[in-house]
Amino acid sequence: MLQYFDPKHVSPERDYGTPARLSGTLVSLEIDGTEISVPEGTSVLRAAALADINIPKLCASDNLEAFGSCRLCAVQIEGKRGLPASCTTPVENGMKVTTQNTRLAKLRRNVMELYISDHPLDCLTCPANGDCELQDMAGAVGLREVRYGFDGDNHLAAETDDSNPYFSFDPSKCIVCSRCVRACNEVQGTFALTIEGRGFDSKVAAGQSEAFMDSECVSCGACVQACPTSTLMEKSVIEQGQPEHSVITTCAYCGVGCSFKAEMQGDRVVRMVPYKGGDANHGHSCVKGRFAFGYATHPDRLKTPMIRESIDQPWREVGWEEAITFAAERLKAIQAKYGRESIGGITSSRCTNEETYLVQKLVRAAFRNNNTDTCARVCHSPTGFGLKATLGESAGTQTFDSVMKADVIVVIGANPTDAHPVFASQMRKRLRQGAELIVIDPRRIDLLKTPHHRDAQHLALRPGTNVAMVNALAHVVISEGLEDREFIAKRCDESGYQAWREFILEERHSPENVEAITGVPAEQVRRAARTYANAPNGAIYYGLGVTEHSQGSSMVMGIANLALATGNIGREGVGVNPLRGQNNVQGSCDMGSFPHELPGYQHVGDPAVRERFEAAWGVAIDDEPGLRIPNMFDAAVAGDFKALYVQGEDIAQSDPNTQHVELALRSLECLIVQDIFLNETAKFAHVLLPGSSFLEKDGTFTNAERRINRVRKVMPPLAGKQDWEVTVDLANALGYPMHYDHPSQIMDEIAGLTPSFAGVSYARLDELGSIQWPCNEVHPKGTPTMHIEDFPIGLGQFAITDYVESDELSNRRFPLLLTTGRILSQYNVGAQTRRTHNQAWHDEDVLELHPADAELRGVRDGDWVGITSRAGQTVLRARISDRMPPGVVYTTFHHPGSGANVITTDSSDWATNCPEYKVTAVQVEKVSQPSAWQRQFQTFDRLQLELLRGSAKDEAGQALSGARE
Amino acid sequence: MSRSQLDSLIHMANQIAANNAHYGDATVERVHSHLKKFWARSMKRQIVDYLQQDGSRLSPLAREAVERLAREQVARVG
Repeated sequence: MLQYFDPKHVSPERDYGTPARLSGTLVSLEIDGTEISVPEGTSVLRAAALADINIPKLCASDNLEAFGSCRLCAVQIEGKRGLPASCTTPVENGMKVTTQNTRLAKLRRNVMELYISDHPLDCLTCPANGDCELQDMAGAVGLREVRYGFDGDNHLAAETDDSNPYFSFDPSKCIVCSRCVRACNEVQGTFALTIEGRGFDSKVAAGQSEAFMDSECVSCGACVQACPTSTLMEKSVIEQGQPEHSVITTCAYCGVGCSFKAEMQGDRVVRMVPYKGGDANHGHSCVKGRFAFGYATHPDRLKTPMIRESIDQPWREVGWEEAITFAAERLKAIQAKYGRESIGGITSSRCTNEETYLVQKLVRAAFRNNNTDTCARVCHSPTGFGLKATLGESAGTQTFDSVMKADVIVVIGANPTDAHPVFASQMRKRLRQGAELIVIDPRRIDLLKTPHHRDAQHLALRPGTNVAMVNALAHVVISEGLEDREFIAKRCDESGYQAWREFILEERHSPENVEAITGVPAEQVRRAARTYANAPNGAIYYGLGVTEHSQGSSMVMGIANLALATGNIGREGVGVNPLRGQNNVQGSCDMGSFPHELPGYQHVGDPAVRERFEAAWGVAIDDEPGLRIPNMFDAAVAGDFKALYVQGEDIAQSDPNTQHVELALRSLECLIVQDIFLNETAKFAHVLLPGSSFLEKDGTFTNAERRINRVRKVMPPLAGKQDWEVTVDLANALGYPMHYDHPSQIMDEIAGLTPSFAGVSYARLDELGSIQWPCNEVHPKGTPTMHIEDFPIGLGQFAITDYVESDELSNRRFPLLLTTGRILSQYNVGAQTRRTHNQAWHDEDVLELHPADAELRGVRDGDWVGITSRAGQTVLRARISDRMPPGVVYTTFHHPGSGANVITTDSSDWATNCPEYKVTAVQVEKVSQPSAWQRQFQTFDRLQLELLRGSAKDEAGQALSGARE
Repeated sequence: MSRSQLDSLIHMANQIAANNAHYGDATVERVHSHLKKFWARSMKRQIVDYLQQDGSRLSPLAREAVERLAREQVARVG
């Protein structure tokens, strides 16, 4: 008898018709004479598919609940009347099912005949030709004629909606199977689509019968993927035809790390289709990963290395060897003149683990200092610090799937529907199943508007008061006796707990006393604390609204305190979960990018650790931490830091206090930028090394759940080299030998030096699909849930997190607080997404301000407003919005000319120097022209683009002097 | 407007002190240990130089921690 209990035995390449059921009770039945045993609740359709019996189907798909509308999957069941749809019929013990006989064949042919009577017969020129389920089913049922003719009423003249830049909606091809509607509801959770009308008039409609672009559609692509015909079809397929092969790889956008099939024609990507076998995304995607890949072949891509003596000179195109030699000689000369510590490097959270590892190795072994840092400095460095101090490991504790067992979901300072959309869809699924939601955020995020979810609690606190809030929540837990005493006694350090308990019980932390700080009514705080503490499973998810504060690290520890106190650690459905911004933030931190830690978070001050790396690398390692990014900038401005190698980051746009960053970059005698575009940082560079996109290289990314996923090369690098090869060349030119033939060898070296990666190899990744570290002898298949038995530091450590007010206080001169964030369609500095059709959704950054603040300043929607802080001024268009409370304004930083970071200050987290992007005291006023910085930016931008094209040096020099004035 | 390198270091040291002020007897050691573990050699040298030349803008707790750092540096050199 066939027995299918373990859902892992199914192939992600097949569609089993209805979703898996995970019941431990098995039900045995017979289908076409084959006995099979499947979990209770499984449909007959799925049971048949598991037995390799393929029942025809159209409206069924295994990522959607059964619907029973097409009737094509009808079967005959012994002892049952009629011909029931197998998708909606659950298996029963002893059931005898027949899937093929004359009666069923006739029924199915009749069904298909009706469908085809209202379908254009243009199969040969249809874009779905070769990938059309309707066509397949016509063949499967043996349809040979349509007796009704084609002259009756039909929908063949229905107009195509081409409004979405990535897919078209051609209702003339629609069979109204509702798969798109159900995908939008069940998979994405947006509920943007519906079936309008009844009977013959039924048709798919977006929003209130609007164009797709005008509706609530978020362009995730779930409907396109679900469509069995060419009704919803990628425009790239319409233009290019069907792909001929595919490669499974990992998305290069956010920290969810979705698996995709890059569907190809030769070395050209036709479309990116979310891979059902991906453990992070289970076949779902968002508008970025699914559609916004065109940047990889954008004309702006850098394809040739370039060098110049100074930034007022035109770039000179050179070969790889000349560029690398130029860079190496400059670095050596600078170190000879200014000392060993005068140079450094920045690794990229967008590059692979292997590339990141090599850059920090280059810095430590070839530069011979520890001046290496990564952009995690400006996003999740407090996570690394705070979680290591309390739980003993610098990473989140769960899998994404864990949320499906959470009873209460707490989201703090994160906006998952925009920044981690695929995980947000999973969260929404759990919310629709009845989990409670608590959002702690100054803004009313979209998750609060989850369809079919009610009574979400929103604690709209003042920016900068997170720690006061988390202390108040903990105060309620302890003072009301809601703590998990057994967990604390067994798993936590006793003396640390007692000290913290005494601290947190101080009356100053009570919600009533904290109300004046946070602005949140005490009763709301008490209710939220009780909801979380009393939940069987309470899970906390947080983002940059936690970390990017002057007390970012304290807040991370405060969150860990809360989870420890309530015993919400060490099993599925609970945990402390940082939502990582970029695709490989977790990986870049794991790989030793920080100046104080070697790979695997091993401190450079530990002689035993250094000894192992020194033996492997054959070089002495500095025993003192190096400079962090903001320290590098300060040192550059002071004249002590002279050269920087930046791989795949745009610090000139992403880092705070732009004018300070620009001054630092101008102070460098050698700036080497390795990137796929001439980004803002590259405009200050002396050496430009063209980078390779994620489609052009092999490697791994590690997502927010510690999942190591393979990145696979699908096309040759446009400039001839993968990024890791360039770092290898630079190391060799500097006299430090590096020799690797393939990134798998780099991973082998990582595994040998990093205890948490000991069991990771490319062969193992190919075998398992993905691995969540730690992966070692004890956990050979990885570790989905951490801290089940104990913590890496033995016992959980409570941290005392006193609230310390931010320096960025509003006052009469700067009465408003600016907070910054992300938007769904754009990604980080926008270098990738701005070079795609995603611009259609967000082509400029705007300043959102509350109607009360707008009225006070005479500002109307669409007006230009100047935003001034202690650091600088910029001008944006105003958008009136009540998503923030009065007194708080909001913007994004996806467009360089917006200058959002001209306003943000150098205020930063006390422990890690993570910038306080989320709180800047500002004034807003109506203006009529761009700011002085923006005018200067435009001139400098124009100049650098001219220099890229090789304009005359003299002209350039004159323009630059003008720009500086 | 941005702070000078030394201004930043003084501010950071004071911030670290303010955020670790509630650990009883372990307070100074926590601040000192943080500086030791996370600050670059050049940063430590500059804050110690500042302490030895002026030190007035360091909070009492930050000052104690930097004094400990200074003693350690002397011991290391010696």
